[in-house]
Amino acid sequence: DTMKLSEGAIEVRLFPDCVFSQNIRKMDGTSGPPRFRIMMNDGRHTMSYFMLSTQLNSLAEQNLLEPNCVCMLKKSVTNVLKDGRRVIIILEIEVITPAKDVPGKLGEPTPFVEGDAFQVHALTSCLRQSANKGPSREFGKKTPSALPSTPGGSSKVVPIASLNPYQSKWTIRARVTNRSNIRTWSNSRGEGKLFSMEIVDESGEIRITGFNQEVDKFYNLIEVGKVYYMSKGTLKIANKQYSSTKNDYEMTLNGESSIIPCDDASDLPVALCSFVAISDLASHEKDAVLDVIGVCKSVDELTRLTTKASREVSKRTFNLMDQSGCTVSVTLWGEEAENFDGSAQPIVAIKGAKLSDFGGRSLSASFSSTVMINPDLPEAFKLRGWYDKEGHAVEGQSLTEARGSGGGTTNWKTLSDVKTEHLGHGDKADYFNSIATIVYLRKENCLYQACPSPDCNKKVVDQQNGMYRCEKCDKEFPNFKYRLILSANIADYGDNQWVTCFQESAEAILGQNAAYLGQLKDSNEAAFEEIFQQANFHTFVFRSRVKLETYNDESRIKATVMDVKPVDHKEYSKRLIMNIRKMAV
Amino acid sequence: MSAIYEAPRARINTSMLSQYVSRPVCFVGRVEKVHPSGKSFTMCDGEGKVVSVELNEPLDEELSGVVEVVGMVTNKGALMGSAYTIFQEEKGVAFDLELYNEALKVIHDFSQYYPFKVETSG
Repeated sequence: DTMKLSEGAIEVRLFPDCVFSQNIRKMDGTSGPPRFRIMMNDGRHTMSYFMLSTQLNSLAEQNLLEPNCVCMLKKSVTNVLKDGRRVIIILEIEVITPAKDVPGKLGEPTPFVEGDAFQVHALTSCLRQSANKGPSREFGKKTPSALPSTPGGSSKVVPIASLNPYQSKWTIRARVTNRSNIRTWSNSRGEGKLFSMEIVDESGEIRITGFNQEVDKFYNLIEVGKVYYMSKGTLKIANKQYSSTKNDYEMTLNGESSIIPCDDASDLPVALCSFVAISDLASHEKDAVLDVIGVCKSVDELTRLTTKASREVSKRTFNLMDQSGCTVSVTLWGEEAENFDGSAQPIVAIKGAKLSDFGGRSLSASFSSTVMINPDLPEAFKLRGWYDKEGHAVEGQSLTEARGSGGGTTNWKTLSDVKTEHLGHGDKADYFNSIATIVYLRKENCLYQACPSPDCNKKVVDQQNGMYRCEKCDKEFPNFKYRLILSANIADYGDNQWVTCFQESAEAILGQNAAYLGQLKDSNEAAFEEIFQQANFHTFVFRSRVKLETYNDESRIKATVMDVKPVDHKEYSKRLIMNIRKMAV
Repeated sequence: MSAIYEAPRARINTSMLSQYVSRPVCFVGRVEKVHPSGKSFTMCDGEGKVVSVELNEPLDEELSGVVEVVGMVTNKGALMGSAYTIFQEEKGVAFDLELYNEALKVIHDFSQYYPFKVETSG
């Protein structure tokens, strides 16, 4: 019965999802965009302090919202005027029955006067679900009737999309898609702990955070993938800086919050994802957060690396391919990386993956991403079917330039391009590949004495007493290890460039390791020089990083060689032929 | 024989033979069949088209794989071979004849950028 108005809604001031009929009037005299004032009738009362927010003006101007239509007020904000009167600004409204289908005035409303006894009704009367089923109200109760903490009974489940800060009595039933670790903090104002999670139902998703006592109460109860009834959380405007969950609001658990497992959950979605085809990744900006799904075509070994904060973290990359025929490299971290088993070429879906322009385009799973292996999603089944039938034979065009291959989407430039295209002038450094010949190698100061600790490369201070001190490790050592910083000039047909090569690249160019070179420099000057002579005039594929740096008002491009590889002539030829043909058109 | 190395020799494939009759050329192809006498053999170019090569002296070694022949084009569309070089397969990367053919086409399509001239050295 779409004409059943939410009687009593005006009085209770609990608006979202309430049904009204109304009379709409354009206000005169205001400068700026026109404002439309609306008198709402909820079947029992009328009230004229409703205003359409300007972004919805077109609804009135195009007569989509007309006098006497029945509409559902979905989102609103209440402003209090200086004289205490309340004005409700309509943010979202939906017409349920157009005016022409409404037979005259509905109900026998009387004008609502502020200050009438405010009676608290059970929330359920204003919820969309009950608007369809018929209102169930409890009159005369002064205290809010608490929803029972056990599921079922007279508590009605509402959709996540209807949650808002203006209603506090609701129960939702949702699946947990993501749960963070417990994070602690300690600052001048005190200390505490928190955890956050994301939940989803058919209507949408929302992010929930629990602090201190709520962490103790609920953290261990929550399992990703399971469904729970939840009620009594505090809703507020979402801080989009910290989450990309699609909801204008987010929730905080409080002392009255309840979370109860629900067994019958098969009808709830596993996750709400809007998957982007891998072939479309190039058209998204880097740092974008998006959802992807594909087959894990191949997976690399687990590696460990040390972060700048000297923490060890596990990392694993794998290649994801979808029906677009494109593949992309995906990086997993920590436990997720350790536990990942890509051997059976599983379907992998990632919600909230982070897009990077590393290697062209690549993805990584951050702590707020959800990685699902062989998820129960229709897209997953389609992918499995496609892959088993034909996908497994597809070579796949990779969006991520792999180390060791220079083809496909690699950024090839000539040395003169660096100047003409102003590479390195932007906020971030630019990376490119080029084929160039070494024309000069500086042998002076190419070696330095570094800390002998395995993961430390800091230059040590010679204490002049046979000991060498590393400031970073805060230790003294009786020895050091030689490391290379090689300054070189490379050239191609159009231009030349000064570059700095570190250890691995320098060793590749000189054809000797740093330790041997250091030893030679100290013992056999002539042999040491000979190495540099021999290394000159060799041609390589250089992968370089350029960035504009400013010292004392002077700006110069600084180029660093990240990697040096022998020229793959076949690939080079193919590329040249392709470029020539392209230019000829 | 050394005379052939004194003149510029265009690199060609089978399709271009007719344009270079009585002119010195350089032909790279894959050996197909060697005549039992050793005085001639056939080879195919990067497009799979066959050319016949005749020699003044019979071959004194096994000929197989990719070979570069320098010689004159006869009016019958065969090659009068003056010298040849075998591109050893075992050494490094195998020669990509199809890619060579693509490069060849570029040289001929844009001949203004790939001039064949005799440079007189001073």
